[in-house]
Formats: sequence, structure tokens, C-alpha cells
Amino acid sequence: MYMTLSRKKWREGTLLIPILLFLCVFFLIPLAGLLLRSLTEPSFGLQNFEQLLATSTYVQVLSNTFLVATLVTVISLVLGFPLAWCITLMPNGWGRWLLGVILLSMWTSLLARTYSWLVLLQTSGVINKTLMAIGIIDEPITMVHNLTGVIIGMSYIMIPFVVLPLQACMSAIDPMVLQAASICGAPARTVFFRIFLPLCKPGLFSGALMVFVMSLGYYVTPALLGGVENMMLPEFIVQQIQTFLNWGLASASAALLIILTIVMFYFYLKVQTDSPVSTNTGA
Amino acid sequence: MLLSQGSMGWKLKSSLYVITGAIAAFLALPIFFIVALSFGSSRWLVFPPPKWTLKWYEKFFENPQWIDSAMTSLQVALLTSVIATLIALPASFALVRGKFKGRDYLYSLFTLPMIVPVVIIAVAVYGVFLNLGLTGTLFAFVVSHVIVALPFAVISIINSLRLFDKSIEDAAVICGAHRLQAIFKVTFPSIKPGIFAGALFAFLVSWDEVVISVMMASPELQTLPVKMWSTLRQDLTPVIAVASTLLIFLSLIIMVMAGLARRYSNR
Repeated sequence: MYMTLSRKKWREGTLLIPILLFLCVFFLIPLAGLLLRSLTEPSFGLQNFEQLLATSTYVQVLSNTFLVATLVTVISLVLGFPLAWCITLMPNGWGRWLLGVILLSMWTSLLARTYSWLVLLQTSGVINKTLMAIGIIDEPITMVHNLTGVIIGMSYIMIPFVVLPLQACMSAIDPMVLQAASICGAPARTVFFRIFLPLCKPGLFSGALMVFVMSLGYYVTPALLGGVENMMLPEFIVQQIQTFLNWGLASASAALLIILTIVMFYFYLKVQTDSPVSTNTGA
Repeated sequence: MLLSQGSMGWKLKSSLYVITGAIAAFLALPIFFIVALSFGSSRWLVFPPPKWTLKWYEKFFENPQWIDSAMTSLQVALLTSVIATLIALPASFALVRGKFKGRDYLYSLFTLPMIVPVVIIAVAVYGVFLNLGLTGTLFAFVVSHVIVALPFAVISIINSLRLFDKSIEDAAVICGAHRLQAIFKVTFPSIKPGIFAGALFAFLVSWDEVVISVMMASPELQTLPVKMWSTLRQDLTPVIAVASTLLIFLSLIIMVMAGLARRYSNR
């Protein structure tokens, strides 16, 4: 029943052929081709990158991308924390419903959710009407096609991606540790800031990195809920290609986005220690 | 004390519950809102709707463009799901069973399409397919969707394969079965829920894919999200609410199916 080592290796090799072939031809080569175009179009050199980092409108796009990603990350952390906490407190019953809501939101069509926000936030929309009825505002405020719209729409989409890792981290905390602190006389506030929050740090960190990276590369929501002056990097890339046919500049921006993403993701993997294939613990 | 309901102060507990309730409502309401609007009579999406009606559903089902794009979506998603699963299955076996070096790197490579921003994959593939004259074909849709769906299939199958006890397969071999026979008759049936869940996720990824599809589409061939996207950019007609409701409904069914498959596999 045992095959010789070399034959076994050969068999494993053949099993990997379809996926490697597919990814090389349709993913890696096109990706490399795109990155190469940033250096070769219109002529060989770094001129696209220089142009990208020296033109003020382009720098505006870059800083916008970072601004949105940072704001969205902070807001989803703040809003995701109580959710994760509640799910950990009540793993059965209500917690299960909360988790259901999060999964439903996560797997509901992105376009459907963005459309919903477009309708909710418009000047004659429910939110403006409600705010006016309560008397908080006198006339409708513009909440779409500007930064507010992008931030609301994107935070809404990113919250689940904070809750899931954070909840996993919280449920691994031994409640006795917190108990011990309070028995020793620490008030709830101290226990929260000195013990609970530091123990949640890995979950917070991986959730934040995940959301930040995803926000950097998001296209649909900013394109629909944002205005022209809120353009982010992904929209800029598509615009350069579809409207201006400027593949060089688009590829340079894409290269920048990829490098940012991969560097961030490297940190994300550093935070997460267990490997899904090598180690056999927890299987 | 902060992690057990019993010993939490009631002030803290009640404020936590109220805040969480509000955030959960924030997450759930837009979804219910859109479903409600699809049945509302107002062209201008007034809420609450003055009257309830099915006329937007009629408009949706009367328009061949919506129906055609929905059928294209279904076709692309089914093909994507099947192909992604067929490619992911042998690769998952090699990664879980293999003892060779660099498995971690291969795993990272297989999940890379999940990490690289979709817009970049879209632009890169678009660049190649444009030169080959392949944009606007079923082939372009399926291939580009398989790229982003693969990681979901790989992760799901690898997880179920790691939970499967290999000695059961070995037992079948000792009893005289050929290794392949053992894999097909013993291993596959027991990891079936994982394969099924992977295929469902791949389906859902393809079904919802917007960015790549917008780049691959032509006026003749487009998927439902592309049709929604181009309509959305013109106006917010309630017909989009109908399309959204149908998308939500399908996602819900698939989520429940995937959940059942997972529960079945954990038993």
C-alpha cells in the first residue's frame, strides 16, 4: 500500500497541475503583465510613478484613499466591538441571532446593500425625513455623493469583518482572569481597560488590518456613494483605463495598491500565528 | 465579570445591550428596507410606501434584458462553481496529504486572489482579454470568476479534508481496495459537505461579482449585477429593488444550504 517516495511526490505534483496552470495563465501572467506596463508605457522608465506622486490631483486621490480607509477602520472597530462582546456573552440564544444578522449582511449582494443606502440617504430619503420630523435638522442634509456617504456605506459593509476575528479572540479569553482582577478589587473600568482590552488586542489588530486592506481596494461602494472629489485609488485606476486609455498610469497606481496590500497582509499573517496547512493543532 | 452575564453590573449590561441592538438594526435594516420597497407603489421610493403592489416585479419579468442577464448570471455562476471545485479538489488533497516543502507558500498562492484587490484582478484580466478579443464572451466571465472563487473552494475543502481521519481510508486499502477506489468510495462521501459548501461559496462569489463583470461585459452579454450597475448609474428605479430582493433571497437560500452542509459535516 505504501508507494515509494518519488512516486508519491510525482502523484502530488500531478494533483497540483490544474490549479497551477490555471492560476499562472489567467492570474499571475496577466498580473505581471499589468505591473510591467507601469514601467513600459508609454516608454521605458519610472515616469508613471513620478507623475503619480508629483501631480497634486493624483496625490489627492492617494490621500483620499488613506483617509477613507482609516476612518472606515476606526468606525467599524468602534461599532464592531460591542457586537462581538455581546455574541461572546451570549453564545446561544440572542448571540446566535446577532451572528445570523452579521452573516446575512455579509453574504447579501453588495450592490443591493449599496443601492439601499443610496435610497436611504438621498435628500428626500427616510433618514433625512426622520431627522426633520424629530426636529434635529431643519432642511435635508446631503449624505450621498460625498465623504459621509462613502464612510457610512463602507463602514456598514466592513463591520462583519471586524466582528468575526474579534469574537473569536474574545471567546478564547478565560473569564476567570477578569474575575480575578475584580476579586482583587479592581473596578469595572480598570478591568476593562487594563485587562479585557489588552487581551482583545490580537483580534482588534487583525480585524483592523483586514478592514484597512479591504477598504484600500474597494471600488463599488465609493463609486456609487461618493462624489467626484472623493475618488479613491480603485476608481481612479478604472477611470484611467476606461476613459483615458492611460494604461501606464493605471498600472502604476495598481502596482502601488498591490504593494500596499501585500505589505499590510504580511503584517496580518504575522499577527495570525497558526498555519492552515502545516500545523496539525486544532484540527 | 466582564465576560459573564450574571456578574455584570446592570447599568453596563443594559447599555451594552441597547448599543448592540442599535448596531444590529443598522446592519439589518437596509436589507429589510430594500425588500419592502420592492413591493411599494411609489416610483420615487417613498417610505413607508403609500400602497403595496407587484407592478415592479411585473416590469422586471416583462423586460427580456433583466431576464437574460439573470439567466447569464445563473449560467456563469454554475459553471464557475463546478470548475472551481474541480480544480480545488485535487489541489486540496495534495496540500493536506503531501509532505513536501513549500506547502504554506502554495496555500498563500491559492488564496492570493482573495487578497489582491478585485479591481486589480479585473483590470489585469481585462487587459489580456481585450487584446485577445475575448471580452464579452461567456469564457471571459467564467474564467475571471473562477479566479476569485477558487480561494473559497480551496479553503472549504482543505478544512473538511483536515478533519477527515485518514486511517479510515487506509483501512479500506488494507481490506483490499485500490487507493483511488478508497478515495472515491470512502473519503469523498465523508468530505462531501465540505466540497458542497465550497461549491456554494464559489457560486455565491460569482453570482455577486460586480467589478470584474463590469469590465468583461458587452452590451449583448451581461450578468445581473452588471445590469443593476448600469441601471443604477442612470436612476434609482424600484425595479432595482426587485432585482436586489431576488439576489438577497438567493443568497439567503444558499447561506442556509451551506450552514446545513457544515452542520452535517460536524456531526
